[in-house]
Amino acid sequence: MNKEDIFEIITNHAKEVIPKLQDHPFKYDDALKDLGANSIDRSEIVMMTLESLSLNIPLIVIARAENIGELADIIHEKL
Amino acid sequence: MKNYNQQEIVISGVGVTSAIGQGKSAFSAALLEGQHKFNVMQRPGRQAKLSSTEEPVAPSSTNDEQTTAFLGAEIESLLIPESIPKSLLRTASLSAQVALTSLDEAWNEAKLNEVPPDRIGLIVGGSNFQQRELSQTHQTYHNRTEFLRPTYAMSYMDSDLCGLCTEIFGIRGFAFTLGGASASGQVSVVQAVEAVKSGQVDVCIAIGALMDLSYWECQGFRTLGAMGSDRFANEPALAARPFDQDRDGFIFGESCGVVVIESIDSATKRDINPYARLAGTAMGMDGNRNPNPSFEGEVNAIKKALEQAQLSPGEIDYINPHGTGSTIGDETELKAIRHCELNHAYLNATKSIIGHGLSAAGTVEIIATLMQMKAGKLHPTRNLDNPIEETYNWVKQPGTKHNIKNAINLSMGFGGVNTAVCLQNI
Repeated sequence: MNKEDIFEIITNHAKEVIPKLQDHPFKYDDALKDLGANSIDRSEIVMMTLESLSLNIPLIVIARAENIGELADIIHEKL
Repeated sequence: MKNYNQQEIVISGVGVTSAIGQGKSAFSAALLEGQHKFNVMQRPGRQAKLSSTEEPVAPSSTNDEQTTAFLGAEIESLLIPESIPKSLLRTASLSAQVALTSLDEAWNEAKLNEVPPDRIGLIVGGSNFQQRELSQTHQTYHNRTEFLRPTYAMSYMDSDLCGLCTEIFGIRGFAFTLGGASASGQVSVVQAVEAVKSGQVDVCIAIGALMDLSYWECQGFRTLGAMGSDRFANEPALAARPFDQDRDGFIFGESCGVVVIESIDSATKRDINPYARLAGTAMGMDGNRNPNPSFEGEVNAIKKALEQAQLSPGEIDYINPHGTGSTIGDETELKAIRHCELNHAYLNATKSIIGHGLSAAGTVEIIATLMQMKAGKLHPTRNLDNPIEETYNWVKQPGTKHNIKNAINLSMGFGGVNTAVCLQNI
């Protein structure tokens, strides 16, 4: 699984949590916060992504990510 | 803040969702026709087999252990208004989705957008009413708790309904949940009346929340002897039979009712033509933790409500009883009705059509009374083939025409809760 696959999983969950993003053209430098995700939405999206990948890592590691691309990178490193 | 007398308190809007229909028009039409939706319950988390591991196993499992059939009436499909944000619905429980849908109906009817938000209060009647959702979550995540959704920490609380309703409808007065077992719905109405009378708010909304039973509660109610047995598993239509000699417990029915309560002055300002006056509201306890009913407790609640409504027993012409189909409960209620000299009044059992909504029952049955008042008709009592006693004014099939002037609604709950509400046609 490469970074692009992980990016797609994250954005699919983002669309599920925030339905208005359904047609949003996601880019690596999109920040979930700027797309209207509050802190609870963001933790939901992260948890759904980790569950999809069966990856159990401390959430504090993920909190460093500034945008979706960085989030995909961090998760990719831990796979 | 102005104080009001009980005689000035009215119901200005209602919303209802039940297995027999969504919205008051569909609900009323099905009710008056006695159209039921009883069947073996299919909602995930209510039908299960107990395996040797003591974990509920999905009914599709191929093992040959016996399936436990719980009968009830379930909402087949819910049409959620477009105005409710989809982003909030994703993590809203079934109880919450049904409450929001029903509230939307009542809110629009009562034109609550015209009321200052800080003058509106909300009471959600019911406690522990999301049990099936919790049970499903536990089953899904029991061996991978690290992936539990963060929103579980919010949604597991019943008060999540208060958060959702106040956010979506912009309510800024007060909001809280209130538990009174199967009388929760009526207790919420009783308290909403007090909030308006005291001037705390101008409008108070009372919601009887949908009690979302899981397999566990169904099994508990059955082993306690409160829920009807699976005797009618092959003929679910016959199972709900309040006041009939062949009854053996209540049959569950999903429902949610919302009533908007305010003073007649407040309603008139918005050109609202209220449904009825909430002339008397009473609550009293038996001092008894157990499920058994109390004749004295019920009589006291009825008398208090009549006294407050300034009505003599002879002036009551319709009774909407608690009438669950419980063996002792139904008998006790009939004795209390007779003792209070109300046995001349028309009597039917709404639960024979919609089932027992538990936390929702009190508000939904108030709405059932209002719908009958409006229609000038009384709904039939299903399966009342051989009443416990004939000497009451039973409304059997197919119902009857009658213009209700003064009605009394009764609710009782485990733990010795008794409530009574008098509704007066305006």
